[in-house]
This record gives sequence, structure tokens and C-alpha cells, in this order.
Amino acid sequence: MLFNSLTFVVFFVIVVTLYWSIGSWTARKNLLVVASYIFYGAWNPPFAALLFSTTAMDFWLGRQIGKAKDRHKRRVWLVASVCMNLSMLGFFKYGNFLLQNFQWLLAHIGIIYQPPHLDILLPVGISFYTFHSLSYTLDIYRGVLQPTRSLRDFILAVSFFPQLVAGPIVRAGDFLPQLVRPQPLRTGQFLWGVALMTLGLFEKIVLADTLLSGSADRVFGYAGPLVALDSWAGVIAFAGQIFFDFAGYSTCAIGAALTLGFHLKDNFRFPYAAIGFSDFWRRWHISLSTFLRDYLYIPLGGNQVRPFRAALNLVIVMFLGGLWHGAAWTFVVWGLLHGSYLVIERICRILFEDKAWANNLSTRILAGAATYAAVCIAWVYFRASDFTIASRMLGGMFGQHTHGDAILSTREMLQVALVTIGMISVHCSLRDSNIETAVTRLPRWAVTAAWALMACAIILTQGTSNAFIYFQF
Amino acid sequence: MRSFISNFKQRLRLPRLFFRKPTRAEQIHGGPPLEFERPIPPIQWRGITVLVVLVVVAATMGWELYCRAIGYGPTLDDNADLWTLRRRAVTPESIVIIGDSRGWYDVDLDELQKGLGKRPIQLAMGGGCGYPVLADLAKDESFHGAIICSVVPHIFFAPPGTPPMERGEKAVKRFHSQTPAQRASQYLAFPLEEHVAFLKQEELALDDLLKRIPIPNRPGALVPPRLPPYFGTLDRERRARMIEACARPGSELAQRIQQIWIPLFTPPPPPTYVPKEQFIAKIGEAIGGRFRDTAAAIEKIRARGGKIVFVRFPHSGGLKELEDRDTPRAKTWDPLLKMTGAPGIYYSDFSELAGFNCPEWSHLSAGDSVEFTKRLVPHLRAALKM
Repeated sequence: MLFNSLTFVVFFVIVVTLYWSIGSWTARKNLLVVASYIFYGAWNPPFAALLFSTTAMDFWLGRQIGKAKDRHKRRVWLVASVCMNLSMLGFFKYGNFLLQNFQWLLAHIGIIYQPPHLDILLPVGISFYTFHSLSYTLDIYRGVLQPTRSLRDFILAVSFFPQLVAGPIVRAGDFLPQLVRPQPLRTGQFLWGVALMTLGLFEKIVLADTLLSGSADRVFGYAGPLVALDSWAGVIAFAGQIFFDFAGYSTCAIGAALTLGFHLKDNFRFPYAAIGFSDFWRRWHISLSTFLRDYLYIPLGGNQVRPFRAALNLVIVMFLGGLWHGAAWTFVVWGLLHGSYLVIERICRILFEDKAWANNLSTRILAGAATYAAVCIAWVYFRASDFTIASRMLGGMFGQHTHGDAILSTREMLQVALVTIGMISVHCSLRDSNIETAVTRLPRWAVTAAWALMACAIILTQGTSNAFIYFQF
Repeated sequence: MRSFISNFKQRLRLPRLFFRKPTRAEQIHGGPPLEFERPIPPIQWRGITVLVVLVVVAATMGWELYCRAIGYGPTLDDNADLWTLRRRAVTPESIVIIGDSRGWYDVDLDELQKGLGKRPIQLAMGGGCGYPVLADLAKDESFHGAIICSVVPHIFFAPPGTPPMERGEKAVKRFHSQTPAQRASQYLAFPLEEHVAFLKQEELALDDLLKRIPIPNRPGALVPPRLPPYFGTLDRERRARMIEACARPGSELAQRIQQIWIPLFTPPPPPTYVPKEQFIAKIGEAIGGRFRDTAAAIEKIRARGGKIVFVRFPHSGGLKELEDRDTPRAKTWDPLLKMTGAPGIYYSDFSELAGFNCPEWSHLSAGDSVEFTKRLVPHLRAALKM
């Protein structure tokens, strides 16, 4: 069920009404479990069984890790949990990719092998709920979380419908404590949640799907060479589209959770105002970057090792981060590009950090612009379905196709330019703040007007229930 | 004894992944906080919400009244989910109408039911190529009914990757992958779309309103032509009917649509990045492939006892001139019937079918579609041996 669908509107109204009209906390939690499984099963009912089985396994493995006194046994149970989760992810998400690469490898050593094409349907949101579930056993192993005694609570932590299919990646340790005590109904919190859902849907339906996606799709879908203006417009449109699409989903999720009394952390913090790539990753998909930092980068040694090893750690993390996004080498290149950006940034910091000019305003503005441009270049690999398209796009962006075609209308380019300027202005002005502070500072009439305008724009746009980009991950 | 994991680590020089106790700093930063609460802006949410609801309701009602005042009426949106609901209604013996919008506007289901003894299922679609649907019915081992396929050569022979093909493929794909949630959304959309005039996704949505802003494009920019504005209504059976404002002879709407058909039906120039000869050869190959694939699909359906008839529906004015010039009968219709061995009904071959006028050059008015269907039925019965 998509947030931008009529089914969800009806589902959500029923769930929220029932939830707040039930007095018993246990009954409320039971209702949320049932609602979350209906939400998930509405895509493909059999996959709800898969979700339940991995959740139940991790619940049991978490208890085993918690119970085991012996360090060796704890490791064995943890490895079992990691293997179970990653093999599930590997089979559904990477099965065909691995087979294709195996075939390619064999062909290079002269062995002709035709693997069967596995007709595997990717369960929606598997990358997200696998990480929700995995965070539980990892945190128990790390000694920062006690195993919960309630299977129902753990099922709810993994499958809570607002964050189930496209994040944020909510760690069990962040959610389980909220299930201990009933959350009271606070009007302000409930209505702020509804306002956030409006904002999220506005970002998705109006900005991403209506004003930006058309240009990005046409440019990336064009089979011939394009002039630089159209190539850049397409890439910049995609940079905005993916932000509004994913941040819109996260904002909806945070808002929906708030209306039910639950608090989820921010997943985005005005990323296009980032100065440098480490700053970008502190602002973009925060739940994934902190997950990778805590469960991969730090265990690899983080930056507390020799510089070369620290740089390698960064590249390894970003390589796996890229692969997490999709079973294609283009995603790997996207990840490796970001890994290289982080390494270059680290070198620059070592060389120039204490120079006076390095921290003045013009350098910061230049660094911010360079970050945005480099992030856009990396998006080419993220959006392009193969390397031919990616290299054609990059060729166009860097002026190789002086006789290329112009395919975007003036209106489309104006849309992309205006939305991008607006987006970057908002990101820069709220760079060191947050949306709650901004709303508090705004005059009441402005909050009312903005909320009403967003709601009217959503109704006017008549969303076509386009899937969120991150569903495929 | 050393553990298996330790030995394994040592041998492969694996990093200390997951195998060390977290530091205190990690416990603080990487570990979960016991409590986390989002800040809520401390403003008068009740008052603001009441105002927002009032403004949104007023604006929505105002927009609805305005849309009705300028001639729009409630109708269903033709989307892949609605199409899928009709596709699901196909039984092994069904009579199915497939193809483009002429098969959609120009036939009346009631008249067909009277004449053929069975209510047909309307699967034709605006600007959609019938081939993907035909191929899907051919793959459906249980289907052995009758197919009435509308042919507009520009659309039926559209190569893969072009909008007509993509439209057909998208509908078929949705039929095979529609989720329970998508199905439920379509049922929920019925009452809304049947009562609200401004719910028209390809006409009154924000994107389409923005497209109406007259901003000149760069010289040489390959911008796709505009689609025609709203000129028909659709019911739950996907029966399309031309609205009165378009059906009136010489109406402003009909004239506007006539001028849209011409660029829409004019083949785009060959792409600049492929040599012209190569492009022409590629298109020729794609069209040849479509002839062969269509014949193969029909063969499969016939082998199971199914039947098919191709129909060329009326069209007139400048559009007829354009179609006759670019896709002459001798190069499209005749070889299609020859290669497939299927019967065909070309409207101009029969005086009783030839006298109809299309107000906007491409489709019949709702009233004419009923009369046309009455006259078409005997030909269909003969072609389908019913």
C-alpha cells in the first residue's frame, strides 16, 4: 500500500480512529501489528509470511545471544542471525545478479554456462526490514540492548507500518523502549504529524512526481546524445526528484508515526546544503549511514587506524552501501564514487584544515557548490540503468555532444530550475536548524497558508500512485 | 581450542567485524538512546487546522464549480487499474475488443450484446497499441473466445519503445502484477471520479495545467506534441462516449482537437544519432516483426478455437488524408489480412458503414457510435462465423 493512494487514506483513517478509541495498551499494540501486516500484505500476501518468519527467527536468536554466557556462543548465534538475514536478502535481491556475474566470469575463462533465470519477485522493502531486524541481534551482541520478552513487541518494532517498506531504518533499540508505556494522545503532536504527512506527500506527489520526474525520465530515457544543457537539467531534476521522493516518504513515515504517538528520528537534514561529503552523509539517509557507521565502519576500525586503512574502510563501507541500493554494478560505482569523494575530502582536510582561507565564507560556498555538483555526477550512475547510458549522460554534461539533441521544453527546464533553486535555498537557510524550529518561528498565517497550499496542490495534482523510488531497494 | 571463527579470521586476515565489544563512545553514539522524543512546534494547532480545512474545502469546491462551468463533467479516468479490472472479467469464451481509441469510442456494448448474443469486454485504449493485448490473450491458454481488433496503422505497427506500445504493455503488466492495494484503490476511486469533475489525470492535473502555459521552446527542440483535451466520458465497463461539446458539428473543441491530431499522427523526424537509412531499415524490420508476431499470436488463438476480426473504423478530414498518405491500405491493412489470414472489415468497403462523419476527424459521436455498431454487427457475425 502506497502512502499516496486512496487505499492508504482509508486504511490510515480506520487504523488511527480505532487506535485512539481503544483504551488498552496491549490491544492497541495488537491492532498495530495486524494493521502493519495488512499494510504489507496488500502488496503480496505471501511475503507477509516471509516477514514474519525472519522476524520470529531474529527474536529467537536475540534471546539466544542474550542468554548465552559464553562469548563464543554469543558469536555463533550472532553469525547465525547475520547469515540468515543476509542470505534472505542475497537470495531475493542478488540471486540473478550473482548468477549473471558468475556466468560472465566463467565465460572469461572459456567455460560456457547458461544459468537458469530465476523468476524471483523482490519482496517490497526487504532491504529495510532486514536491517530493522538485524539491528536487534547486533545491538544485543554489542551489549547495548536487552532482548525483549515480547514477540509481539518485536514484531511491531520490525513491521511498524509507517517505516516498514522504505525506512527510515528504525533500530529496534530506538523503537522497543517506546512500546513499554502507552503514549498519550496529544492534540499538538497528532496535528503536527498530519502536517508532516501533508509535507511528505507534497514533496512526493507535487515536487518529485509532477515537477521533476518527467524531465529526469525523458533525459535518462533518451537513446541519443544530448546537449549539455539538457543533460545537466535531467541530472539536476533527478537529484531533486530522488530527494523529494525519499525525504517525502520519510517525512510521511515520521508524521504517521507521530499521529500514533511514536517518535522516529530524522532521516534527512537538508542534504543539499552539505559542505563536503562527510557532511552530506550526515544529512542524507541518516538512518542508513549511521547503521553502516555503527555496524560496519567502526567494527572495521573506523578512523582509529592507519590513514590508508581508514581510507580503505571508507571505500568498503560505501561499496557495500552502493550494493545495498540495488543489484547492479552502476550502484556499486555510485557507492565507490562516494567512497572516493570521502577519501579525497579526508586528504584535503589533512592538508588544508588549519589554513585561514579554508574556513572563510567564499571557500565554504565553493565547497558546498562542489559537493552538490559531485553528488549530481554520482547520481548519474545511480539513475542510469547501464553504463552506456551513464557514459552518454556524462559525455553530454561535459560538452562532448555539441551536436546533440535538445529534448526538454522551456517549461520543463524552468520547472527544474525553479524547484532546484527553491530546494537549495531552503536547505541553505535551514542548514543548522530543523523544520520544527522553522515552523515555530514562522508567523501563524504563514504556517496556515503553507499547509493549505500544500494540501490544495496535492488535491490538484491528483497523484497517480507512482511507487516511491526506494521501494525497489 | 581456538574457535572456528577465530581461525577463520586469522587465516583470511578479516577485520574485527562484529567480534569486539563496543567502546563506551560507541555505546553512547552508536547505541540507542533510552528515550527519544521529537520536538513539537508549540503553536495553536487546533486553530490552524480548522483554518486549513476551511481553506482547502473552499478551494476544492471552487475549483470543482469552475471546472463544471467550463464544460467538464465527472467521468472515470482510463488507467491501467481500470483496464485490469476489465481484463480480469475475460472468460475463456469472451468477446473482447482490443486496439486503439476508435475501437473504444465507436462501438456500443449494448448493440454488440444484442447482435452477438454476448456482452463484449472493452479492452481497447486511447493511443494504445493492440498487439501487447493480443499477445497476452494468445499466451492465455484458456482463452478461445472472439477478438475484435481495431487497427490504426500508426498505432498498431508502432515499434517497441514508442508510447502506443508502452501504453499497451503497461496495461498488460499491471494485469499480471496488480496488488490487492491497487485493486482496492480503483474501487475506492469509482465513486469519487463518478461525482467529481476535476479528477481528470490527463487533463486537469497540475502537470497538465502547467503544460498549457504558452512558453516558446528552443528552435529545434524535440518536444513531443500535445495530447488532445478532454472530449469523452468513460463508464465502469470502459465504454467511451464523445461529449456533446465535441460532437456538435464545427464546434470549437472539435476544431482544436483536429489540429492536435495532425502533429500527433505525423511521424517524428528520424533521430539525429542514427543514419537515416539505418533508421528506415530498423523501422521496416520492426514493422515486419509486428506482422510476423501478430500472425503467430493469431495462430495460437485459432489453434484453441478462438477467432479474430480486424476492423478499420471511420476517420475523416485532414486526418484521413494524412493516414491514407503515410500508411496506405495497400502497405498496411492488406498485408495484415494476408499474413494473418484473418477476416477484416474496412469501413469504406461498405456503403452502410462509410457515411459517418467524425466530428474531430478520428472518432464517432456517441449517437453515431450506436448506429454504426448496429450496422457493423452483421459484418462481425459473418467474419466471426457466429
